[in-house]
Amino acid sequence: MNRFLKLVNFEFTRFWKLYLVLIGVTILFQVVGIIVESQMYLSRANKAIYEELVSVSDFISQYGKMSFYQFASTGWFIGTMMFCAATLLIYVFFIWYRDWFGKNTFSYRLLVLPTARLNIYLAKATTILLFVLGLLAVQLVLLPVESKVLQWLVPDEFRHDLSIEEMTNLYYLELLYPSAFIDFILYYGTGMAAVCVVFTAILFERSYRLKGIFMGIFYVAASLFIVIAPLLVNEFLLDNYFFENELFYMVIGAGLLVWAAAIWLGNYLLNRKIRV
Amino acid sequence: MIEVKDVTKKFGRKTVLKGVNFTAEKGKITCLIGINGVGKTTVMKAIMNLTPIDGGEILINGEKIHKGSYEKITFIPDTITMLPQMKIKEAFTFMADFYDSWNQKRAEELLEFFRLKETDRISELSKGNTAKVNLILGLALDVDYVLMDEPFSGIDIFSREQIAEVFTSHLIEDRGVIITTHEINDIEHLIDKAVLLDNGVVLKEFDTEEMRENEGKSVIDVMREVYRG
Repeated sequence: MNRFLKLVNFEFTRFWKLYLVLIGVTILFQVVGIIVESQMYLSRANKAIYEELVSVSDFISQYGKMSFYQFASTGWFIGTMMFCAATLLIYVFFIWYRDWFGKNTFSYRLLVLPTARLNIYLAKATTILLFVLGLLAVQLVLLPVESKVLQWLVPDEFRHDLSIEEMTNLYYLELLYPSAFIDFILYYGTGMAAVCVVFTAILFERSYRLKGIFMGIFYVAASLFIVIAPLLVNEFLLDNYFFENELFYMVIGAGLLVWAAAIWLGNYLLNRKIRV
Repeated sequence: MIEVKDVTKKFGRKTVLKGVNFTAEKGKITCLIGINGVGKTTVMKAIMNLTPIDGGEILINGEKIHKGSYEKITFIPDTITMLPQMKIKEAFTFMADFYDSWNQKRAEELLEFFRLKETDRISELSKGNTAKVNLILGLALDVDYVLMDEPFSGIDIFSREQIAEVFTSHLIEDRGVIITTHEINDIEHLIDKAVLLDNGVVLKEFDTEEMRENEGKSVIDVMREVYRG
């Protein structure tokens, strides 16, 4: 196994336990959530039908059928997804800073490994990507499970079943599970470019310390500006000269430029400027 | 040979190294001496490319440091370089995974010498034993040069004796060692070359044997002359 893969494996193993907790929390909250939401729906139905003597059809027309669509808008579902996203977002910073701070100074070891320092950068970025894709996979497996739980708990007449495809087309899930492969590459490519920009900003801080914080902030702002520059130029200087698809390709090009620059700069800082 | 040539280093407005020059040869123990804050650790970090220098040049066997150099030179700082939650055995596996120069047999030999167990968890070790683990991780690499930063700092007398014993053993033979310390008593009789640093400059660089033979002065005598004026 080459050293890059060993580094990825090492980085992955370091977060593994916490990652399992994250997956456990997601499964627990979503399964408990769908049970609780189903029970609430049924108790509301029972109360309306048996106590207030509302007909089934009237109840359904008033409250709608219970479906994954309703569950996906509750805190049980959105909350766990936000929790996972926030944890990974924090981890983007933690994956670097834990090597510099605390009881251990692992950065001493990491930076003197007989491998290109860029591998450290790329291994950390790959680890983040693997964690994201892993959580997406868990969520994708959870969707039919939740659908099944819903089928067990809610009678057919009160339930509207959705296929996996319909589920993943709901709300923000469309962003997480794009239906076209090119969209998948686009969304996750944008995400990884953003992770690399943040990594490089962190390396600015680790290289220049206090001054590096300002350099990092300026660098992030400049990267963002470069990505949206074609839109701004088109809007304010060229009076909407370009077609939408032309603008789209220009933004993609600018994004790729920013991504490549982030990796190049990260490599430069790791080799020439980093301090332990 | 490690050549430190006219190295300068600034932290903000403060210049901590002002044209430092010295060499360290294979098979010899070179000691960087000076009180705290004179730039000893900065020199070590600069040699390992763990801090950028502002001027000058550092060569290892005639080359600037690169990724392959880390199979030839190792740094033992005064702080543990492994994850504290690791067991010693896991730390050894990590080293074996990444370094071609890792010598498992030597690691086990050192472990036995220091009376430590593979199953010991780093975070549960005393400061002295942590320093020993650090030393093992550095010395079990088949490298040409070993850099040690304050290996005796804050540890008990018995651990010091054990660590000092390593310097006279076959584990150090034929290697070039650069050691920093402000507690020279423990290793005065072991060092071949002394480099006296103060305020970011090399005040004096001398062969300890020659100094003893020609001028009848110990390292501590020379230090008194240089630092007290």
